[in-house]
Amino acid sequence: MERHNPKTLEIPLTALKDGETAILTSIKAGHGRGRGRGWGFEKRLMDMGLTPGTKVTVVKSALFHGPLEILVRGSRLALGRGMAERIFVERKK
Amino acid sequence: MTKKKLVIALAGNANVGKSVIFNYLTGLHQHIGNWPGKTVERAEGTLHFKGYTIDIVDLPGIYSLSTYSLEELVSRKYIAVERPDIVINIVDASVLERNLFFTLQLMELETPIIIALNQMDIAKKKGLEIDTEKLENLLGAPVIPTVAIKGTGIFQLLEKAIEVIEKRQIAKPIMVKYGEEVEERIDKVTSMVDQIQFWYPPRYVAIKLLEGDEEIAREVGKIDPQIVATAKEIADEIENLHGHSCPTVITSERYEAAGCIAREAQKLVPPKKPQVEERLHALTTHKIMGYPVMILSLLLVFYSIFTFGGYSSELLNNFFYGLKPHFASLFGTEIVRELVWGGLIEGVIAGVTIALPYILPFYVILYLLEDSGYLSRIAFLMDNVMHKIGLHGKAFIPLMLGYGCNVPACLGCRIMETERERLLAAFITTLVPCAARTVIILGLVGAFMGVQWALMLYILNLMVIFALGRIAFKILPGEPTALIMEMHDYRVPHLKTVLKQTWFRLAEFIKIAFPLIIVGSLAIKLAEVFGLLEPVANVLSPVTVTWLGLPAITGITLIFGVLRKELTLIMLATLFETTDFASVTGFGPVQMIVFTIVTMFYIPCIATIAALVKEFSWKKALFITVFEIVFAIIVGGVALRVLTLTGWF
Repeated sequence: MERHNPKTLEIPLTALKDGETAILTSIKAGHGRGRGRGWGFEKRLMDMGLTPGTKVTVVKSALFHGPLEILVRGSRLALGRGMAERIFVERKK
Repeated sequence: MTKKKLVIALAGNANVGKSVIFNYLTGLHQHIGNWPGKTVERAEGTLHFKGYTIDIVDLPGIYSLSTYSLEELVSRKYIAVERPDIVINIVDASVLERNLFFTLQLMELETPIIIALNQMDIAKKKGLEIDTEKLENLLGAPVIPTVAIKGTGIFQLLEKAIEVIEKRQIAKPIMVKYGEEVEERIDKVTSMVDQIQFWYPPRYVAIKLLEGDEEIAREVGKIDPQIVATAKEIADEIENLHGHSCPTVITSERYEAAGCIAREAQKLVPPKKPQVEERLHALTTHKIMGYPVMILSLLLVFYSIFTFGGYSSELLNNFFYGLKPHFASLFGTEIVRELVWGGLIEGVIAGVTIALPYILPFYVILYLLEDSGYLSRIAFLMDNVMHKIGLHGKAFIPLMLGYGCNVPACLGCRIMETERERLLAAFITTLVPCAARTVIILGLVGAFMGVQWALMLYILNLMVIFALGRIAFKILPGEPTALIMEMHDYRVPHLKTVLKQTWFRLAEFIKIAFPLIIVGSLAIKLAEVFGLLEPVANVLSPVTVTWLGLPAITGITLIFGVLRKELTLIMLATLFETTDFASVTGFGPVQMIVFTIVTMFYIPCIATIAALVKEFSWKKALFITVFEIVFAIIVGGVALRVLTLTGWF
């Protein structure tokens, strides 16, 4: 699932370590069996503040590939892992 | 002078204290119903203030005004079409940026608005200082700081709302200024939309068309499909310019605008040491420690509910049945007495002895946990497990409720995002052994065979839930959603709001469950009086006796169990004329287990069926009911054969 794009240094949110902060670059909807389009998770994520250019901090992830706890725009969110895998970020230099 | 009427709508994100403010304003003059034709709840209340009769409409807690959820659609239509005199936007001061993102969308709807800057106390604790005057200038709308749980600022809020309405001094609220390339194109679309009649403001329609809003595209398309096509082309232009899709560009820029305002108006002085709330959060969501903490809390919750429930329902039962002799002297003829007492009154007693001892404390604790913020942490911890049956963490909450009573659990499935998930969660929930079924499992298998066997049945139940959940997940069309949930800071729950919510839920339970329980008991009593029970039991005997290997009279008890599951055990004792089930011949350990398995699965009780009908449809409720009857019979029969063949007993 974790595809690294060598050109842009994009990595999925799930590749960040606990406590790490990165800049959101894109949300890739529609990959993997075309899931996610129907209920518009991309729009929902953006409505919660996950827009390109935003700082995202991964606080921790739950045991056994569980959901992620992230901080974004001053609010604390829980994100399912499958979805977090489709959120791409770039580490700050 | 005619009576002056006003309508005020409350809007805002979830968990910002909206319902607390609603309760302050309206007290008990509330009415909770549904939006016409929708499963979205509509809370309304009235209030008298300065000679006005004010109708307060509490809109659902939402994060945006798009069309991805019913709640958002309902809110936006309400504001645009029914045009309340003013919208009070409740903003969480501790998460200012995200809340202002919603505020800016309300402003794009060009509705008169004032802002309640709530949870100022929590913001202060986090080290956030907000300059309300500055915020007011930046937004171009009045801002009133409030601490709703203490009642601070509510009066001023109401005064301000009236003042704004009376003076019609609706200061033109600011509009989000998007980037130049975007702004130009919005203008282009706006000028086209200007030509047609539409219920939303033209600029709003233009923005939403560029954002690819399905409802608006459909409606505008009916009037002039050319506009939609042009908007689509323009959106593509923006996408080419920015390298992101047009909705992404617009949402980002709107968030940037919200961020700018938030940064200007607030100053952050982070507290030196981590707050108690922070530490509590870290503990309750901890990778390892989070789980024992959760299990202990839930055990404590259920233990106290069951202890309280058992004790108080016995008290109530004694009280009601103590009235029976007095009652008997009131009605002359035997048959009338039997029907009125056995049918009507016992139906009411049945309802009351579930509602007060179990449902009431249950809701109180549930709302305390929800309001404090702990439920969202539990959903976070359980997300993983729930994914195994195709649901996400939030679904654990109705499932957990099911162990108390299936009725609130079915109603609790509303927290799921899509109809599909609601149905899936409700289906699984009806398989969860509620308090009544626990009485049977512990009172029969637990008491006469040992706790380890009762535990085995619980494990069997969990396995069934997982297996059936997985199958239903694969069969039901549609796609699964995933967890996107805010975990707001821990806070002390507002007791009054909790109690009011409990009260309204209890009333809802009574409305759903009581009529059916009463009609059901009356029907069974009629059958009994006319001597129909035994023939029915005989008709059932191919199933009960031949296939399940149970005594024929269990057929009668299973019929009673539809009303309340624990009646199966009570009736069994009545019909066997003993409570020492071990002494009954033909009712050994194998029969006890088979009987308990059947009662565990065989049908949702009548109140749960009513809840399913209300939340879904007759057809779906009937399907679940029939499925579970067939399923229970199959599992019971298989269990009988496995137990006898392996020769455990």
